[in-house]
Amino acid sequence: MSTPGSPVTLDLHDIQGNIVKAYSRYDYSHARYVLFEITDGQAGRGFIATLAERVTTSAPWGRGSTEERPESTLNVALTFAGLRMLGLPQASLLTFSPEFATGMRGRGAILGDDGPSGPERWDPVWRKPHRIHVLITINGVSRDAIETAYAFVTDITGRYRAGVRCLTGHRDPEGRNDMPYQAASAIEIDGKPTPKEHFGYTDGIGNPYFKGTGEHPENVLGGGKVTRRDATTRAGWEPLETGEFLLGYKDEAQEFPEAPMPPLLGRNGTYMVYRKLHQNVGSFNRYLDAVGTEYPGGKEALAAKFAGRWRNGAPVTTFPTEAEAEAFAQQWMAAKLKIQQTPKGPAREEAKAAFAQLNAKFVAFDYSKDLPGAGCPVGAHIRRTNPRGSLEFGEAFAFDTRGALTNRRRILRRGLPYGSVVDPQDDTGEHGIVFMALGANIRRQFEFVQQQWVNYGNDFRLGNDRDPIIGNHGTTPEGKGDGRMTIEAEPGGGRPPFLCGGMPRFVETRGGEYFFVPSITALRLIGEGMVDPT
Amino acid sequence: MPNIAGKAFAMNLITPIERWQAAFNKIQFWAIRQPILSFSLRGLVTLSMIHYARWAIVQPTEWPRLDESQPKEKLHYAYQLFFSNFNGSWAQYVDSFSVAIPSGLNLLWFRNVGWPKAVPEQPFHRYVEHNEVWTSHYYSAYPMAASNDVKSAQRVKQALTSFASRTKDMEAAAFEQAYNELLNELQADLSQMAPTPIVSLANAAVEERMRQDAEAGDEQDSGRAPAMMGGSHAE
Ligand code: HEM
Repeated sequence: MSTPGSPVTLDLHDIQGNIVKAYSRYDYSHARYVLFEITDGQAGRGFIATLAERVTTSAPWGRGSTEERPESTLNVALTFAGLRMLGLPQASLLTFSPEFATGMRGRGAILGDDGPSGPERWDPVWRKPHRIHVLITINGVSRDAIETAYAFVTDITGRYRAGVRCLTGHRDPEGRNDMPYQAASAIEIDGKPTPKEHFGYTDGIGNPYFKGTGEHPENVLGGGKVTRRDATTRAGWEPLETGEFLLGYKDEAQEFPEAPMPPLLGRNGTYMVYRKLHQNVGSFNRYLDAVGTEYPGGKEALAAKFAGRWRNGAPVTTFPTEAEAEAFAQQWMAAKLKIQQTPKGPAREEAKAAFAQLNAKFVAFDYSKDLPGAGCPVGAHIRRTNPRGSLEFGEAFAFDTRGALTNRRRILRRGLPYGSVVDPQDDTGEHGIVFMALGANIRRQFEFVQQQWVNYGNDFRLGNDRDPIIGNHGTTPEGKGDGRMTIEAEPGGGRPPFLCGGMPRFVETRGGEYFFVPSITALRLIGEGMVDPT
Repeated sequence: MPNIAGKAFAMNLITPIERWQAAFNKIQFWAIRQPILSFSLRGLVTLSMIHYARWAIVQPTEWPRLDESQPKEKLHYAYQLFFSNFNGSWAQYVDSFSVAIPSGLNLLWFRNVGWPKAVPEQPFHRYVEHNEVWTSHYYSAYPMAASNDVKSAQRVKQALTSFASRTKDMEAAAFEQAYNELLNELQADLSQMAPTPIVSLANAAVEERMRQDAEAGDEQDSGRAPAMMGGSHAE
């Protein structure tokens, strides 16, 4: 019943690289995020025009391509206030989406940024949203690469200092709160970057797969939208329409997403949500330690039930016990090693195929055999944020397509951890995730997921229960956390579900804003002051 | 406008339809309620954000008048009245409908004047907006409950009552076993219930102003003008 639609060819040279590429997957394990205020339109436009020539695009790198993978990448995003300072005509400004124009702080009540997540607690730089105009994100393969790119940015900022100022006021691990940038980098273990975040989970596994990116077709497994076929096979998945993630292309509703005018301003661009999320590592570890002793499967199993993945990344719906998850991880490592050890030739291709098959198990699954949640709880983080067709609640063909309630709520996740955990029992200090979510519609995608699926539960028939890990749990009058979660048991059988209570807020907002990520063409238009919607 | 009460959002949609076409729709409304065809409503039932939904045809002569002094209106069309209460915001609801059961919507509305089809979504949004009658008064008896909460509460109450009488004289071990079985049976009904998340910032701002006005009014002990005035009336 799905509508395959037609293939899409994208002009990848016109699209900023962070939209199509998750840089951290290409070994860019360091990043620096820098904010700017524009006080003079002309200087600001010069700044943007200069940056446009250096911006990293989505053009493919490496084999079969003319482009070499650069040491560092540079991308530019603009706020609504920034677009106004850059002199966009009012007629154009009014065509941007209302939530983007309002900004993250104004949408705080929707996002659940209350109590310890409130703007009073944000890094100083994020507390003056009217001054935040431009965001430059730099990713690098090494610290040196970051320094070089940062020096370039500082240099052109100097050149346009008549009207462009780098904003200070980011907190850093040394306790300063006036830093000129936010640093972020992959967590290193034994000196090697890893895909871990500060609660110890492997992150960055699941991401949407959409038409036209040139990504390997196998990646549609788990990344696309579910069909009615077996989710462990290619037939179980179809690519999402491009317009869910890029303006100017047809979306899942078979139309062009609402986009700014003139069309060249919007096309090949998208919106981006930036959130600095602090992780209360001490509270999280204490909770797991305490409740983990009562939970039948123990502490690691409890952590897996929270996330929907074991800390090694194995999905708990497919690998319900720790032993199975461990065995899978070892098979996977062995298969990976085998590729490295096999000389080129048919044997190596075979090893690669075997590895790909194992690797797919991380993503090629759904919850159709696990509807009551005895494997992956209905309220687990990854099941909430991507229910993969389970919202049909097993009523096959209740909806015209199985993924109906999911397909328009997908987000491209980017970003990296920041800071480091010095004492695993301590909440304070600088450690968390710089979370970025890209999509064609902030309200329908990110805000919906954040409000309805993370901080509420009615769509899952879970009442007001929130996401165990990132929900904005409150406090009871006795000062305890008020977060709850049901960890379902096998229905029938007579075993009780495990009820977690007293969860405090494990994740708190420390800043953020809504941005527009223009195409290269749009950056030039803006830089040259040529935007004219008539 | 109080389209929102507690966890519910009210939508009244009145769409014109040629009189002779309306007859077909009447038959269709009747047909889908017959048990044998009830599968066609499964999508609606599975969309558990919906609290309540009802379709009816109002003939040109059937519109009520306040009293005899109100002149009769001369109407060209019959009207299809769609009345729905749901959890969440307008956009969330309209989007979910359009994406989950577009063929069902097309079936129920394709005879209506100006129906654009349920997909693409933007023309569908405009059609709904154009034909929607804003609610003037809206009341919720259970402001903290969505229909899922009510259904769960009913199941828990029933199971608990029967459990209490069943286990009155049980030994501790048997009781524990029975209790665990009860929890297992009710595991999908044990979530907490709390006020709704903010559905719209505009609505939250109105509520906040009303609260402040009420407080100020209490202090001055003077009557407050009804906060909601104007708007069209559905009756
Ligand atoms: C500090 C905050 C957060 C932590 C520690 C965290 C952790 C994780 C982990 C461990 C995974 C599993 C790995 C993977 O599938 O890639 C994951 C997946 C995911 N998270 Fe988060 N997350 C955080 C914030 C958020 C936020 C704010 C959102 C959106 C509102 C979000 C949405 C998602 C989505 C969509 C997935 C992929 C689900 C799937 O496709 O199966 N996360 N997260």
